[in-house]
Amino acid sequence: MNKRCVIMMALLFVLTGAAFAVNLFAGSADISADEILRGVFNGGADAAVNILWKIRIPRALAALILGGALALSGYLLQTFFHNPIAGPFVLGVSSGAKLTVAMVMIAAAGRFGQVTSGAMIGAAFIGSMLSLGFILIISQKVRGISMLVVCGVMIGYICSAVTDFMVTFADEGDIVNLHSWSMGSFSGMSMDNVRAAAIAVFAGLICTMLLSKPIGAYRLGEAYAKSLGVNIKLLRAAIITLSGLLAACVTAFAGPVSFVGIAVPHIARVIFKTSKPALLIPACFLGGGIFCMICDMIARTVFSPTELSISTVTAIFGAPVVVAVMLARRRGEM
Amino acid sequence: MSECIRTENLCAGYDKPIVRDLCLNVRGGEIMTLIGPNGAGKSTVLKTIAGELRKLGGTVSLCCRDADDISPRERAKRLALLLTEQPRASLMTCREVVETGRYPYTGYFGVLSREDKIAADMAIKTVNIEDFADSGFLEISDGQRQRVMLARAICQEPKVLILDEPTSYLDIHHKIVFLETLRRLVDEKKIAAVISMHELEFAERISDYAVGIKDGKVQCSGKSADVFTEDVIRKLFDLNEQLYARYFKKN
Repeated sequence: MNKRCVIMMALLFVLTGAAFAVNLFAGSADISADEILRGVFNGGADAAVNILWKIRIPRALAALILGGALALSGYLLQTFFHNPIAGPFVLGVSSGAKLTVAMVMIAAAGRFGQVTSGAMIGAAFIGSMLSLGFILIISQKVRGISMLVVCGVMIGYICSAVTDFMVTFADEGDIVNLHSWSMGSFSGMSMDNVRAAAIAVFAGLICTMLLSKPIGAYRLGEAYAKSLGVNIKLLRAAIITLSGLLAACVTAFAGPVSFVGIAVPHIARVIFKTSKPALLIPACFLGGGIFCMICDMIARTVFSPTELSISTVTAIFGAPVVVAVMLARRRGEM
Repeated sequence: MSECIRTENLCAGYDKPIVRDLCLNVRGGEIMTLIGPNGAGKSTVLKTIAGELRKLGGTVSLCCRDADDISPRERAKRLALLLTEQPRASLMTCREVVETGRYPYTGYFGVLSREDKIAADMAIKTVNIEDFADSGFLEISDGQRQRVMLARAICQEPKVLILDEPTSYLDIHHKIVFLETLRRLVDEKKIAAVISMHELEFAERISDYAVGIKDGKVQCSGKSADVFTEDVIRKLFDLNEQLYARYFKKN
């Protein structure tokens, strides 16, 4: 590991902390810095502390954890398809998860009331794996990175259309939260949600770290990786399952969030100037967290009290990165 | 040194056999070339020997052991692969590419030990790629890249080297440099090399033995001097007398 990477990694940690702190200070309710520091370290029961612990901290944590999960999911999909513009959103994985989560929410709303965090993750996981299944079948038939992405986008549209259809005909009462969720938002996260998301996402992160050696060999392509003794079938299955799980967690709690999954891994590659998985995996995770925390802060403060959907903001910053990547690729740099 | 790679009645193909009853025997320090028209199954045979493709029948033995009994990791310590297509490994230096050859030797997290680093350095030196070892893998020429891939294969410390048309995209200079390096490595390290090639004039120069494949069968095999003859080559590649004379004979 060279000096540049050490410095960059340290910088990422510092930025993560800074973005987290800024998220605690920013918001529509005016809370002084003094009150925030007291609230974080001593607790208490006044309104400011309540806002802090019930709203801002869970929301910032959610943006950090789920943003990291998205970036990691994108990284895994890019690795899997050897395709720089793959990501959970463009390949329709997020939309697949959104569809099944919406189904479960609507079905459960009438009978059981609240759906548990675990059930949401489970439903989202099924949806994301179904989308990935379609994408895998398509990827056997089409050659070329752009065709795959086009097919993914179409799967995404179909899933979104079905979701919108269901939302439209669901009972008003069932879907108070459904609408803002289906647009993508980190709002309304409880500490319980955060805990469930953290468990699933950190499990995914650790498993991905454990795969860094075979992923490193996979960079040379399947044939060479296999000749080095990598169990290709197992590795491919693991990568797909992990990326599905990570994308599912995000969708279960925050709805579909665009462009983080594509853009952040590229930003990480550019600043680290390496493709070593052992570095890129943590870098993508932290980078995704920082990216989402900043975007979420913008979403909720710029037009406060009106809140933008998170995808509106992530698209503004993420889409140009994708265009830049495609141009760089044309020049043969990526 | 006994045979490093041996096949008996090997049947290779995807679902249906493309090549049948192939018997090869290559010892350490020897180069065997597979020649034959496009689609004859040269790559299929090489992939099958390398364990990338499941064989349809017969046996392959590697260093006197049945290849079926060798774990992928053990196989990777004995056999290395080099293909025509070069990996699009972005943001990797040539040294990093070479170091991937240490994969079967490193632990769970793939951390390179001092010995691994030394092995990579040695491989870089033997293949003479020091000048661009720390450049980006995608920033160098095709010819240089293929030498990096050769260093990577050597870094794996194999007994057997399988090369599938390694020189196809290279210019004459790089073809010759590549093949000279290969010949030297095979001699020095007593590696058994099986290589498929379309450049007959070069194949004749560097190989000890040659096997011609066509229509799913071995058409000719033997010492290089006996295979690269007018009769054999004309038959193998469907060339009439005039065409052969025009392209293969001087003046």
